[in-house]
Amino acid sequence: MISTLCRGVAILGICVPLIANAQHATVRTEHVQAELLVHAPQGLEAGKAASLALLLEQKLGWHTYWKNPGDSGLATSLKWSLPAGASAGPIEWPVPERLPLGPLMNYGYTGKLLLPVKLALPAMSSSTLLPIRLHAEWLVCKEVCLPEAGEFSLSLRAGKVYSEHAAAFSQAQSRLPLVAAGVTARARVNENAVSLEVSGLPPTMLGKPVQLFPEESGVFDYAAEHSERWHGKDLTLSVPLSPQRSESPSRLHFVLASADSPGIRLETPIDRGWPADSGVSSVSTPAATAPVQSEPPHITVPPTSFAVVLSMAFVGGLILNLMPCVLPVLTIKVLSFSGHASNRKLLATGGFAYFAGVVAAFVALATLMLALRAAGTQLGWGFQLQSPVFISALAVLFTLIGLNLAGLFEIGSVLPDSVTALRARHPVIDDLLSGVLAVAIASPCTGPFMGAALGASLTQPPGEAIALFAMVGAGMASPYLAASLVPGIARLMPRPGPWMGYFKVIMAFPMLATVVWLLWVLGQQVGTDGVVALVGFLVALAYATWTFSAKAEPTTRFALASSGLIVLAAVAAWAWPALHAPPARAGTASERNWQPWTPAAVIEAQAKGRTVFVDFTAAWCVTCQFNKRVTLADPGLLASFETSNVLLLRADWTRRDPAITEQLTKLGRSGVPVYALYGKQDQTPQLLSEMPSVQEIQTALGKL
Amino acid sequence: MKNLLMAFSIVAGLTSSAICSAQAIVGKPAPVFNAVDATGKQVSLADYKGKMVVLEWMNPDCPFSKAQYSTGNMQSTQRYAAEKGAVWLSINTASVVRPGEMLASWMKSQQGSPSAIVPDDGKIARAYTAKTTPHMFLIDPAGKLVYAGAIDSMTGTNPADIKTATNYVKQALDETAAGKPVSLAITKPYGCAVKYSPSA
Repeated sequence: MISTLCRGVAILGICVPLIANAQHATVRTEHVQAELLVHAPQGLEAGKAASLALLLEQKLGWHTYWKNPGDSGLATSLKWSLPAGASAGPIEWPVPERLPLGPLMNYGYTGKLLLPVKLALPAMSSSTLLPIRLHAEWLVCKEVCLPEAGEFSLSLRAGKVYSEHAAAFSQAQSRLPLVAAGVTARARVNENAVSLEVSGLPPTMLGKPVQLFPEESGVFDYAAEHSERWHGKDLTLSVPLSPQRSESPSRLHFVLASADSPGIRLETPIDRGWPADSGVSSVSTPAATAPVQSEPPHITVPPTSFAVVLSMAFVGGLILNLMPCVLPVLTIKVLSFSGHASNRKLLATGGFAYFAGVVAAFVALATLMLALRAAGTQLGWGFQLQSPVFISALAVLFTLIGLNLAGLFEIGSVLPDSVTALRARHPVIDDLLSGVLAVAIASPCTGPFMGAALGASLTQPPGEAIALFAMVGAGMASPYLAASLVPGIARLMPRPGPWMGYFKVIMAFPMLATVVWLLWVLGQQVGTDGVVALVGFLVALAYATWTFSAKAEPTTRFALASSGLIVLAAVAAWAWPALHAPPARAGTASERNWQPWTPAAVIEAQAKGRTVFVDFTAAWCVTCQFNKRVTLADPGLLASFETSNVLLLRADWTRRDPAITEQLTKLGRSGVPVYALYGKQDQTPQLLSEMPSVQEIQTALGKL
Repeated sequence: MKNLLMAFSIVAGLTSSAICSAQAIVGKPAPVFNAVDATGKQVSLADYKGKMVVLEWMNPDCPFSKAQYSTGNMQSTQRYAAEKGAVWLSINTASVVRPGEMLASWMKSQQGSPSAIVPDDGKIARAYTAKTTPHMFLIDPAGKLVYAGAIDSMTGTNPADIKTATNYVKQALDETAAGKPVSLAITKPYGCAVKYSPSA
């Protein structure tokens, strides 16, 4: 009767019962029916158990929140007005439900919910009227959220037994987490998680997966799954911390629940407290939330510091020495040590000069890149290799090195006497220059490798980017420096002998092989005509170099050299246009499974619900080609792609393509290879490693 | 050769995972993004280098956002930011992206003055792990994220509370403009959940 009246009155409004002695009060909104209940099975008296409760009956699909609402939402709050001497305890929260919403996680309740509080009464004479008033606020959400409130009142009589809601209260009681005696917990902060060790859990929970609800807000990443491990009766949990942690409570409270068992409430201090802050300025606790802590809260900093990145750059530089286009150069340089072995000091100076040259070249590269970044130019590592002219220049350089090693000509006789003299007089400058040259020669091998570092340096302050590059250079130059400094290492170097002549000639062939690869890259860019033009030019070049160094009488030599120059000029004039011709079509994506990449193709496929795999590649990128021929050609993988109906797109960056450059930037990279797997439209694409295994790609597919 | 490639890839992998953390972390460079605003113009965070940038996650349907606008608190914060030379992007993340005109006309009706209103399908929100409407972020002129959290020190929708609350965004703007570190760099955001599309 009363509830009917109230229903008529209120949406969000106040519902004051019209009849004195009313047993309950109800507020009804569009989404919730709320009611104030009392339970005093032994009569309302001082010292006897009595409870009040707010009953919320939520419509299907709607929910309200737990004391820690999770990523969003707001806990229900109760404000009591009670007779003098009476007091109401805090809400006894039932074990909540996990309410995931996209990448967010909320904790709350659906359906019928009873929020009880303990009621303590003063001694009083029987039949005294006890007016109870409650102002309750709750946030109820589905897709939208509505803050709702209600005023409730009850008029109770001292001494009277109230038990009509006994069933509801006992059911609510069974949903409350227990503070079980014998359950102990320890917590410790690791880098990005709190490790929680719990022992003494009730037998009904043992070995079962648990749900965990942290009561403190502003600490944990609620949506991230915790990990759990049972060792007999002990449970170890690792609970991920929020990257935006704002609180550092000195004690933690959790509710643990598993199927078919009541939840357990745990309380634990933190062993050794929160780690001292290693980064951002200290953060104090917002006034509106948890009590102020004695220690300042901290922000977790990701585990990898800049020093680690620098040391990895150094290792990366070291590895560059093993690259096929660096090792021969290095070997040649170290061979030359045998010539200086008698003069330790000169050797050391040369080592430092080489070191300085390499580092300077890397720093120059970084500076150039930063300057271009500042100028707003889109740019990626390997960009030089997108220029046919640059490729041709490299091919010329490698051909010359190859021909020199093969013994067609001697450097000394090609260079003008003054330069040769300069070299002799300033070996230090010579070493410095050869360091710079080593970096230039290394770039075809290092480009793919450096992609990630460059991508990162694009987002780094200039100082750090330069430091990163200098470190790569230091890594690359250090074996050479070490060999020149430490006699032990220098002694490990091969001794001079006739084998050096053979070795020198043998080294010519990897150089010439590199030319083959460069020609192939050029072929991808400008087609067969361009390759023929360049090969023609290289032949002319070989002829010209030979004419310059041929040992003959001055007149014959002059004639030869003139003919060499004429041939070279004529062939250059013939070849030049072909090297500039527009490409036949960059990267003829001939493999039948693959289609050329366009941004529209990705969006279109996603709209149709198809998964898209994009191979960002370039002909000049060795790693890309390795992946393409080994991993991406794996029959098992191709079958997986087919079963999952994956659209395979290839973005070919062999020639500069602004659309691909832009896409790479969006993905946080500035070089290839990049492998991206696009799932649903609203998902960020998954980026795979630069040398993904078949299994890695299949796992990524499985995650979609 | 294969071993070499393996070693190579391990180092490359380590290097890239160490640096490419795209997530928004206070004290680190803020994730950059490109978007199209409600009027169809390109908006790129990179264009605002040298200026402070405030990101406001808002939702015209959310009572918490509405309370901030109906009390004039958000608008006054926007004007305050403008006086400090800051750019203000009001971002609306929705699983079904709202038409720009709708967002713009709502903002006009509220007399709000953000630099741009940005409809988002969840990409920007994921990069910033935006949780609530409102959820506020401040990026300093060097592109570093210096504040993430609530607009103010209250937690509800009660207009009376809003008037007495401490405005964390104004505080962060003041401190950043003065070249000082933000004293309260992370607070707990409160409000409605950001409307990500339900299938994560």
